[in-house]
Amino acid sequence: MNISLRWLQEVAPELEGADPDALAGRLAALGFPVESLQSLAEGVRDIVVGQVLEVTPHPNADRLRVCRVDGGHGEVQVVCGAPNVVAGGWYPLAPVGAVLPDGMEIRKAKLRGEVSEGMLCSERELQLGRDQGGLMTLQGAFKPGQPLTEALGLDDVRLEVEVTSNRPDLLSHRGVARELAPSGDAGLRETVIPGESAAHRQAVDLLDRVSDPREVRGAGVTLRLEDDSRCPRYLGLVIRGVQVGPSPLWLQNRLRAVGARPINNVVDATNFVLFQVGQPLHAFDLNQLAQQTIVIRRAKAGETMRTLDGIDRVLTPEMLAICDGARPAAVAGVMGGEEAEVSGQTTDVFLECALFRPGPIRATRKALGLSTDASYRFERGVDPEGLEDALRLAARIILATAGGEVVGPILDAGADRFARTSVTLRAARVQKVLGIPFAPSALAELLGPLGFQIAAGALEETLQVEVPGYRSYDVSREVDLIEEVARRHGYDAFPETLGAFRPGSVPDDPFLQLEDRIRDHLVAEGLFEAQTPAFAGEAEGEVALQNPISTEEGFLRRELLPALLRRLSYNLARGNRDVRLFEIGTTFTRGEAGQPPVEVPHLALVLHGARMPAHWTGEAAAWDLWDIKGLLLRLAVGIWGEGCVLRPAVSVTPPWAPDTCVELVTPAGVVVGKVGSLRPQSLDLPPWARTLWGAEVILPENPEPLTPMRYRAVPRHPGVDRDLALILPPGIWSEGVVQRIWSEAGPLLAVVEIFDQYQGKGLPDGARSVGFRLRFQAEERTLTEAEVEASVAAVLRKLDEDGIRLRGS
Amino acid sequence: MTQDGSLHEALKALEEEALAAVAAATDTAGLESVRITYLGRKDGRISQILRGLGQMDPADRPAVGAEANRVRDRLVEALDAREGKNDVGAAAAPSLDLSLPGRDRWQGGRHPITQVIDELVDIFRGLGFTRARGPEAESEWYNFEALNTPLDHPAADAQDTLYLKEGFLLRSHTSPVQVRVMEGYKPPIRILAPGVVYRRDAYDATHTPAFMQLEGLVVDEGITFVDLKATLAEFARRYWGPGTSIRFRPSFFPFTEPSAEVDVRRVWTGSDGTEHDTGWIEIMGAGMVDPAVLDAAGIDSERYTGFAFGMGPGRIGLLKYGVPDLRLFFENDIRFLEQFGQR
Repeated sequence: MNISLRWLQEVAPELEGADPDALAGRLAALGFPVESLQSLAEGVRDIVVGQVLEVTPHPNADRLRVCRVDGGHGEVQVVCGAPNVVAGGWYPLAPVGAVLPDGMEIRKAKLRGEVSEGMLCSERELQLGRDQGGLMTLQGAFKPGQPLTEALGLDDVRLEVEVTSNRPDLLSHRGVARELAPSGDAGLRETVIPGESAAHRQAVDLLDRVSDPREVRGAGVTLRLEDDSRCPRYLGLVIRGVQVGPSPLWLQNRLRAVGARPINNVVDATNFVLFQVGQPLHAFDLNQLAQQTIVIRRAKAGETMRTLDGIDRVLTPEMLAICDGARPAAVAGVMGGEEAEVSGQTTDVFLECALFRPGPIRATRKALGLSTDASYRFERGVDPEGLEDALRLAARIILATAGGEVVGPILDAGADRFARTSVTLRAARVQKVLGIPFAPSALAELLGPLGFQIAAGALEETLQVEVPGYRSYDVSREVDLIEEVARRHGYDAFPETLGAFRPGSVPDDPFLQLEDRIRDHLVAEGLFEAQTPAFAGEAEGEVALQNPISTEEGFLRRELLPALLRRLSYNLARGNRDVRLFEIGTTFTRGEAGQPPVEVPHLALVLHGARMPAHWTGEAAAWDLWDIKGLLLRLAVGIWGEGCVLRPAVSVTPPWAPDTCVELVTPAGVVVGKVGSLRPQSLDLPPWARTLWGAEVILPENPEPLTPMRYRAVPRHPGVDRDLALILPPGIWSEGVVQRIWSEAGPLLAVVEIFDQYQGKGLPDGARSVGFRLRFQAEERTLTEAEVEASVAAVLRKLDEDGIRLRGS
Repeated sequence: MTQDGSLHEALKALEEEALAAVAAATDTAGLESVRITYLGRKDGRISQILRGLGQMDPADRPAVGAEANRVRDRLVEALDAREGKNDVGAAAAPSLDLSLPGRDRWQGGRHPITQVIDELVDIFRGLGFTRARGPEAESEWYNFEALNTPLDHPAADAQDTLYLKEGFLLRSHTSPVQVRVMEGYKPPIRILAPGVVYRRDAYDATHTPAFMQLEGLVVDEGITFVDLKATLAEFARRYWGPGTSIRFRPSFFPFTEPSAEVDVRRVWTGSDGTEHDTGWIEIMGAGMVDPAVLDAAGIDSERYTGFAFGMGPGRIGLLKYGVPDLRLFFENDIRFLEQFGQR
């Protein structure tokens, strides 16, 4: 919301002489930071008002004109390219030596052979507006050479105030003044309209009002309200015989000061009221309204209209339209139509001042992609008590600036009569929420200036607070008033004394604890944690976003590895050869109908390059399958406990390479992940890239607590080792042999390790010799040879049945 | 016996002689020749004595052997000490270049934003908080309505939400966890909810469409606005250090009332005596839990009050580490991650 300091001071005389920086600080402390403070005169101090006396064609250029200009210090010749320059017109003149806001200095120059001693300026060149269609035309009475800042009232400061969405009352000068003025609402002044005659004033003041919930007639107009759920109240007033033209300077200047463009006296009057009190109004050319009828109804499917911005809009039955006897003339609360626009030909005006419900306005604004000053206010909420005053104020300004006469009565459709809410405020509750005591009288002093009507409550130490209409959107409960108390008391004034607290009842989340353990483990293994956003393309996800940022990010990932591999590739492309990354993140799959997508936490990791940093003793070997298998098993045991197995994967699909893929099985027998080398087709890897190793594991959402560690007696008697070199025929996996050994060796077996593998000469085709070390151990005694031999023999007998024999036997 | 006694004396004399020789040596070569004379494997004088043990009376062997070993150890010690003390090793090329680097191991590290979260959580843990979690794909109810944000209110627009199928969305803040925790547990509640949130923001230096948030919620009898200010002031001092102060500015969040933006500022004197001042930096949003939120979660809002706060560890990370662009956190360049190492 742009606030003009001069305008604000006119509304609140108490703020005369206030320092803009101090006001900005005060606004910030009240919760409304000022994003910028702009001195309007900044940059245009050198500019004066010039009158063009004569315009002649440029002898050497079709598009240029040579103008004789009175700039206050005698006549000067200025060459000008703007199409809208006319003799007799008033324009901003940058004389020789002047500096424009963009820093350009005006010099005497020759343009195509003609001398130019200055420059006539557009709004845009002066950074006063966006219009660059031609010169900025000044309407009114001026003196040649008069400083532009004086002529346009630019001796002003614009405050760009950030207003939170709960406070529509601050989208007006009156609302901001109420917050800032020391005596609040009581310190605000009634609007003064320069040049208003007593007769005009009286004509408006004496207007009658006729009301009906559905339909009212008067002043030759029929007003029918067909949807009072979206428009609870609609006021209309006819003004006949207006002369539409430029607004007087005071009105133009007010609008310019807040960054709005003056259009004509009738439209400017409605805009002035909007910025003054926050009520949007609309003026229709009455003679363009079919049957002199106004109908407030839902649009019919397929109905179209061209809005004031020149765009043809297709309306839907979800939208409220202001129609004449035949068709829509405005999108209610958003924008008027071109057809019934007030123009130079307009003589009779129908002035609308209505209350539209916020929700539907918001929906319409979103559907049309059209946000206006009006829709912005309606979707936050306008003052339901201010309609009639706003309408009368607009009528007075129109009479004062465009003439004509009001034709009564005020037409008032809608049954809605706003009733103020009365809220009980307990001093004890204030203390319970805010932590410090406030006496009822202190509460009244804080709330009163904001327009809250305060009476003593029924109980002791309570207040009965009546909420004015302009605060009805954000204040309806006791806590809303408590916030006002805190805000007006000043947040800084509350102490920071830390009191005692009770421990909470919520246990620390076990999954977050698991994440911590996994991070600790993998960091100790030398990996870095990566974070990637969960968005993916269609190939990598099945949960679609309705409104994605881009199609490449139109879905949510099903797995973590694809993105992690891209990060790996990114590192390789930047010459980082040794890359070790892991990520813990959420993956998404389609849920059942009516249910949210299913979220499953995953862990993925990728390894590339050397398994250790380079050392002068020799080149470090690259990561291999045994590294990542070992790493994963250690990790898995940390998550699921002893008994996790990595076994050849049952089905292997890209990007996993078929020959090295193993799957991770939990002690409960659930396959939770894959580990192996990867050959992603989609990645562009450098020629020097080595094997990529990776893993993707489904993590338990609700991890079971691990079995607590229990002490076992450390064996006091030596164990006995037996090394068996076994010849494994093709197709026999070592894991199966280990299981067989465990199942046959009896209770004395303590450890089985594989310590060697040999393939080649001296072995049958395709067979390998694998060395198994068996350790036998008894807790309470030294084992005898015979016991061990018996166990080994049992194992060998069983293995023999599978065709597995001792090497050399 | 006599043999034993005389050998003892001989060993004593030998010890004195050898130690004197060690002391007299002036360089490595000298020390080396002492080593050979007394300890040389073949002809070293002590070695000879030790070798001769075999011919001795078995009864004498242990005592003489022990003494000979003692003398040898003493001599080795003396030689070693001299070699180290005189820096003689550096002057003459030794067989092993001890200045060669040792074998390194790969260093890993938590993601810098995880590290920030860990630090924040550690501080709040000290203030009695535990951690809670909630889904990232949420319903409109938990993300908005249960948080006192009607879907047709502009406040629902403030966070441009990414929508999934009908009625579901990617949570635009971690505040839904507040509701889920209040539904599942009775006060007193003191939780932190770290997690990813999503907004329809284009990538730039300070925005990414997915980012981490850390939510806090306290609900109990007697919790006040003063407790909120005090808790966050205490947190800020512990995190940013002495000289840190906080400032509350009124703001609007539908799910808290009163609501505040919280700024921190640190003023300190550097070791060189210069004054430093960070100025006020906006760090989080906070407020008293709106009674409508307590009611929606089934907690008696007349009896219980609470406060909540939310901050962005990514933004705190940018400030803390001086990282100029949020996107660096998601490129996952090893050279970037390495800087945050294991700390």
